[in-house]
Amino acid sequence: MSGIEVSGIELSDHGVSAELARIVARPMLVFSPQVRFHLAPGDRTFVSTGDRVVPGMPIAERTLDPELVDAGRVGGGENVRSRSSARSDAPASADDSIARDQADRDPPPIADGVSARRLVATSRSERRRPPEPGKWWMGGGERRGKPPKSKNPVRVGGTLLFESGGRWRVAAGERHEVVESPVTGVVVEARNSVGVTIEVAGAAMPGALAAGEPSRGYLDVPRLSDGELWASALDVGRSGAIVVAGSRLSGQAISRARAMSIRGLIAGSVGEGELRDLEASELRQRASLAPSVPFALIALDGHGRRPIATPILALLAALSGREVAIVTDPPLLVFDAAEVPLPELPPDWIRARSGPHAGREGRWLRSAGMYRFRSGIHLEGAVVRFVDDADPTTVPVADLERFVF
Amino acid sequence: MTSQPRAFFTLDFGSSTTSVAIFGHVGGRWRLIAHSSGPSHFDADDLLRGLMAGIADTDPALLVEMGAEEDAGVDSLVETWPRLVARTTPERQIAVIAGSRRQRRRLETAAARAGWIVVGGCADEDDDLVLSRLLLSSETTAVLLGADRTPGGDERRHLPDLVELVAAAIKQRPELTLVLAGGAAAYESDFVFVPQTASASGGHPGQAPSDNKTQEREADLPADEAPPQTKMQSRKTAKPPAPSDSDVDVDADVEAGSNVDGVSDAGASVAEDDSRFEPDSVEATVDAESVANAEPDPFITAHLPTTSGPIGLTFPAADAPAAMTHLLLAPDPEAGLLPGDALQEVLEGLRALPNDSRLGVARSTASLAYVLDRSVQTVEIGLQSGLIARSDTYGQGHFAVKSSRTCLVSGSFAPASPSEEVIDGVLSWSTMALDRHRAIDRLNDIRLLPWSEADGDGAIFRLAAAKAAFGRLIEAMPELAALASPELVVAAGGIFASLPPAVVSLAVADLVQQPGVSQLAVDHARVLGPLGAIGDEDERRNLLANVADDILLPLGALVTPAGVRPGKTAGRLRLKSAAITSEIELHPGAIQVVDLPPGRAAHADIEFRDNVRLGKRGHRFSADVGGGLSGLLVDLRDVPMRISDRPDSRRAALETWQRGMWPEVDE
Repeated sequence: MSGIEVSGIELSDHGVSAELARIVARPMLVFSPQVRFHLAPGDRTFVSTGDRVVPGMPIAERTLDPELVDAGRVGGGENVRSRSSARSDAPASADDSIARDQADRDPPPIADGVSARRLVATSRSERRRPPEPGKWWMGGGERRGKPPKSKNPVRVGGTLLFESGGRWRVAAGERHEVVESPVTGVVVEARNSVGVTIEVAGAAMPGALAAGEPSRGYLDVPRLSDGELWASALDVGRSGAIVVAGSRLSGQAISRARAMSIRGLIAGSVGEGELRDLEASELRQRASLAPSVPFALIALDGHGRRPIATPILALLAALSGREVAIVTDPPLLVFDAAEVPLPELPPDWIRARSGPHAGREGRWLRSAGMYRFRSGIHLEGAVVRFVDDADPTTVPVADLERFVF
Repeated sequence: MTSQPRAFFTLDFGSSTTSVAIFGHVGGRWRLIAHSSGPSHFDADDLLRGLMAGIADTDPALLVEMGAEEDAGVDSLVETWPRLVARTTPERQIAVIAGSRRQRRRLETAAARAGWIVVGGCADEDDDLVLSRLLLSSETTAVLLGADRTPGGDERRHLPDLVELVAAAIKQRPELTLVLAGGAAAYESDFVFVPQTASASGGHPGQAPSDNKTQEREADLPADEAPPQTKMQSRKTAKPPAPSDSDVDVDADVEAGSNVDGVSDAGASVAEDDSRFEPDSVEATVDAESVANAEPDPFITAHLPTTSGPIGLTFPAADAPAAMTHLLLAPDPEAGLLPGDALQEVLEGLRALPNDSRLGVARSTASLAYVLDRSVQTVEIGLQSGLIARSDTYGQGHFAVKSSRTCLVSGSFAPASPSEEVIDGVLSWSTMALDRHRAIDRLNDIRLLPWSEADGDGAIFRLAAAKAAFGRLIEAMPELAALASPELVVAAGGIFASLPPAVVSLAVADLVQQPGVSQLAVDHARVLGPLGAIGDEDERRNLLANVADDILLPLGALVTPAGVRPGKTAGRLRLKSAAITSEIELHPGAIQVVDLPPGRAAHADIEFRDNVRLGKRGHRFSADVGGGLSGLLVDLRDVPMRISDRPDSRRAALETWQRGMWPEVDE
């Protein structure tokens, strides 16, 4: 391993012949990717375009189990009379609208000076602007024309949907959940009910798929036996970690990891059945009253069982102990580290990503041209020598990958 | 820019495959010279350089004949020769909103057939929160709000609220494109804040790229060197007065893009000469590269006139930008020659890039039907979606072409997030025993890595996935059942191009369950999409008349009788060709193959024991059939195919038939 400064690295796969270039290049790292956090009606953002965010900073609030509420007539300044109703709305399109919204957020989850100053500078009149779709709304039964039945009426909060016949419909609920940024970056776009997009400051490793809620934790690379991690190794000592879990995730490993407050799992592959189990588990967790910690998993290769590629495993081992984050759209393992230690790889190092040799690695020797493979199928082939093999093997080019930084 | 090219490239940038081909004007006509393809990460110029270097090494005189200067390098030719480029449009999602469930289904059908990923809701069934969620989803890029032309009571009472809801969503997401269909268009004034307003009249974004839309490189060939096309043009311009059935009341807004070829996007004009292809015309020869030394295939070869004349080839800009429209007024979902056609056309135009590959295939199919004067059905299955297009000539002298098509996201061989029905379909065609979870994982992996494990078990699984997609496409086009079996079936798309020809023939036999006799062919060079990017219908027809036999690799003929009863024998088939006469006994429940090589024509006399349907009902039938790489297939499995519903028995039967056509499967 050699420590190479990311910003100074030569990213092009120079020195690669045209024949070798036909093997798909798999980037081990991408830089400054944009990641998205999806919101739905009833959800609001705490940030606006241009804001800098750091890990742990609230960027949005989700309304759990939103319902359609008839809010009646909603006046421009009516909401701001109560502290709880001083909320943001969705910017339609203009940046100044976003700026206005920023002032209305409560509590101000502001971690940088720019947003705080903006909050102070916002005038009272701006807060009293008329209602519009996406604007945050809060109220109880009395706000919908119903007399209060108790001294402490149930308050609901959400976003305005639309006005019909002078009455506003709202997506609102009693329970809310704060979404924290798992990464450092700059907000590219933030809209109530739609989503938040952040440009990450740093590098990330692309995965094939990810699921769960974006999460953050320290990277834990336990010793794998035959490329696998036994589910029993996922104990409470790994609470708060994002664990490298080997070639494939099992349902048992996922359940156990969640129970142990592990923040995420990284594996070569995960099956559709396990993903469905995770989704069901997320729904159950959300339905319960107990707050849950975000949990995510990322599969680096896909669904079929394949061990994690050794260059990637080496990179993960070098980052062990550092803070990393899993984001799901796109599937990325994000490192905030300014410098990432990159493994040294010969340019002709290849890996079989699919087919009967899936997961094996070796050296590319030469092109085989059009070649007749199993079942009489003609495909472009490459002659490779896999590690531990004395004889070369001819493999379809499309089943191979090589690594680029 | 005007030039006189004697060669050009076609490039098809699919979501999983990049295909390139070289066309040259040699021997007095346009020919397909060479073609290649590879995974989408392959560099197209690199593929072209490889092909050109191969030509330069083996036949440098050919390059000169194609207009290359003798000292010109391959690199400079690759850079300077004109290109026809087609590209698969990335998937886009539309939210369909309606007042009633009935209307929602109609709208969803039109949108799905136009190639959109469809999410839908209606006021009857879903509350405003659910509908808002659809509209505000970051995956949604367009909204279709529709109603009957005269909305009924079930819709009318919901429309004002739906209009408010959609307007509010568009205020939050101004990047959304809104389509108001049918009676919903009356609420256009409620969307005055939407930046641009357009209507579907006067052409739509999905029309073939034409000279008033994009930068073009126009190339007029010299009269003395151009391929003979005079009669082709005269035939095209010989359109008789429009037949009465073309007077269907189609919304004027979409007439420009109507599916009736010759009066629609083709822009064909009416002219005087009514001459048609004459017997004195010469026949084109077959693709020299793929079927070397084979005789011309009379069943996919256009009869070309002998006279010479100028031909213009217009090359649209390689990648024109997608149209930007924010509000479209569209016809109601019942408008069109077939209900929903008109709306489908508008939605296709909204979704697709001007040089969309699948729409190009559909346009080429219509042109082929005209040029070959026969009904053509093309099935193209890709990674992001699939297409089934049918074109029939009709009217006096067959001067007009009636086309319909379905471009379906679920027609992909590996659709995203496959539903249980998709998995059922794959398992029902699979000859391997697979559990559901494993099948889902394999399908998802193909989605991620479309070229992965294309041999061995992977090829068998892909074949099952392709057949399942084929089945979904046919289900989505119920109007096919009312039509006679197509005279020519063309299989297109990378998944078919990579499989052995006999297996493709079997797949077509399995799925095109229409009694009749059809010729089968494969778009082996994957050029139908780029050729469909030629904006001018005349030019496209002229070119296809030249190259039809080059670009369509003949698989053979398929005879599919319906009403074959079980028993020891179904009858006899006698095949007479110029060289030999063969006779076989027909066995019910089997698919039988008679050797008939490419380029050979034969006359088949079939005598059935029972009264069967083969176009018409009877015992004795005669048909002219053409040869191909898999010969003549007689499918005696009945229509619909008689096969067990039990998975094990079904799999065993499929495997038996497949093994007969694909003996290398165990290699």
